[in-house]
Amino acid sequence: MIITKAHLLNFRNHSASAFEFAPAMNVFLGENGQGKTNILEALSFLCITKSFYASADSIVLQRDKNFFEVEGTIEVETGRESAVRVAYDERIKQKKIFINNGEVEKFSEVIGRFPVVILSPENNSITFGAPAERRKFIDLIISQSNRLYAEEMIEYKRILRQRNRILSESDTRLNERELESWNDMLVTFGARIIFKRTQFLREFSPYLMQMYSQLVSEKEIPKLLYAPSVSLEENIPPDEIEILLRKKLEKRRADELRLRTTIVGPHRDECIFSLNGMLLKNYASQGQHKTFLIALKAAEFFYLKERCEETPVFLLDDVFSELDEERSKKLLTLVETLGQTFITTTSENIFGRSPQWNNERKKFLIRSGSVISSIKAA
Amino acid sequence: MAYTSDSIEKLVEEFAQLPSIGRKTAQRLTMHVLKMPKEEVTDFAKALLDVKEKVKYCSVCFNFTDHDPCALCESQKRNKKIICVVEEPNDVIALEKTHEFKGLYHVLGGALSPLDGIGPEDLKVKELLARLQEDVDEIILALNPNVEGETTTVYLAKLLKPLNIKITRIARGLPIGSDLEFADEATLTRALEGRVAL
Ligand SMILES: Nc1ncnc2c1ncn2[C@@H]1O[C@H](COP(=O)(O)OP(=O)(O)O)[C@@H](O)[C@H]1O
Ligand SMILES: [Mg+2]
Ligand SMILES: [Zn+2]
Repeated sequence: MIITKAHLLNFRNHSASAFEFAPAMNVFLGENGQGKTNILEALSFLCITKSFYASADSIVLQRDKNFFEVEGTIEVETGRESAVRVAYDERIKQKKIFINNGEVEKFSEVIGRFPVVILSPENNSITFGAPAERRKFIDLIISQSNRLYAEEMIEYKRILRQRNRILSESDTRLNERELESWNDMLVTFGARIIFKRTQFLREFSPYLMQMYSQLVSEKEIPKLLYAPSVSLEENIPPDEIEILLRKKLEKRRADELRLRTTIVGPHRDECIFSLNGMLLKNYASQGQHKTFLIALKAAEFFYLKERCEETPVFLLDDVFSELDEERSKKLLTLVETLGQTFITTTSENIFGRSPQWNNERKKFLIRSGSVISSIKAA
Repeated sequence: MAYTSDSIEKLVEEFAQLPSIGRKTAQRLTMHVLKMPKEEVTDFAKALLDVKEKVKYCSVCFNFTDHDPCALCESQKRNKKIICVVEEPNDVIALEKTHEFKGLYHVLGGALSPLDGIGPEDLKVKELLARLQEDVDEIILALNPNVEGETTTVYLAKLLKPLNIKITRIARGLPIGSDLEFADEATLTRALEGRVAL
């Protein structure tokens, strides 16, 4: 897919910015704090209905404004064009999404239609941070490649909140049959999620190995190990996972009532990364972490490309400044093979001494939330 | 943006408080009322008061009615041995439109939702159990296909199991997260026909 146009209105520091993008590479160049990352964030609204970073829509709303809009034209591989419009109104705290002027009823319907991969400094937490960061990473990939998963995740989170409310009030009132009913739901949806994550990590591993070997010359083997909250054997079907989850719930019942929160289920899963059998978290160097992350993201790209039958757009936010020269070169070589890419940077140097800008590769100078100029050969 | 008339402003505000009516629509409705003949406005106002004063819950099925018990519960044409359990009165209307179901209804008045403070005792569950003292062949659970509706289905199935009555649920043909009341008739008919035993 290709994003051909975008228009930002009252979005972060962009009062009104319009872009016509190149099909291959789009570079946003500018000093820090000028609004480059904000553009990538706006593209994320077009593709997955929300921001990669901000937890709430109101955060990206320009100060002192009461609505924002992101509009874009996306051309998918079949050649069809979709006009996507995301409109948020602060007065009623409501976001609406329109595709070709038709209102989208469920946002989960959009996810996966316009696949997107982002690599940004925030992503360092995927290899360095808490398990939740890795769950978020794999959940967004599965959601984009499997619409049902996106819906089941939403429902699971709802079940979790409902069940946690029951546990939090369990000292004043506890209806056993009611708790049992929520247990059934937790177990049913939890098992589906664990099953799909297991399946996903099995499918995803070869992509990761492939990409990692492209990035490093030494023989290092990256591995992903799924550690769900119930221990699983290979190829175990959802109904058997349900039984395991139910047993674990019974076993941890007293703890849950004491802690007043749900401690059994896929929201407690971990995904362990390792390199040559050593835990990445404990043993890898900074450089290895960075390579691992790039390999993960490139693997995500090719996985989604195959699953969605649509080439994702790839967003790179300030990535090159953090890399040494060799990694930087390798990443750039990789980027050239990807499809449509959007890159923010404070310096043009990464593209060599005299970078060529043309119809395929465009450069946008960004200052104070505006496009100062866009450069391409006629 | 205030009007030069307090009564107009007041009516706009009242309309705007109704669900799915924004301020613009409220203004349009108010202008319309201003142009209506006085008799029509009186009828309209009376209709509003009447629903408040005359409509009550049927003491059997807890649907809305003017007369207790309601016409459905009183009808000789309905099969009194099948009870279809729904969340809201609007769901009854949706199911009646299919002309597919000939039994009686039981309106729970919602679904289990701890986050909204709704537990089993806040729904007409006891009342449902009381109705099962009489001879009932089948209970159809037709709750909304969302997390709360599903959980309520699970809850009722557990509760009713020991009674040895046939319990079914409507088929899951409805899109997840949707509302029964907005499903089209064909979909609802299919959901009823394809009901499965619990
Ligand atoms: N909601 C908002 N309203 C107005 N300005 C914002 C908002 N959020 C962020 N900004 C501004 O956006 C700028 C940062 O933009 P960003 O895209 O992160 O910069 P960079 O070019 O370094 O990537 C800052 O000047 C910040 O004040
Ligand atoms: Mg930035
Ligand atoms: Zn009745």
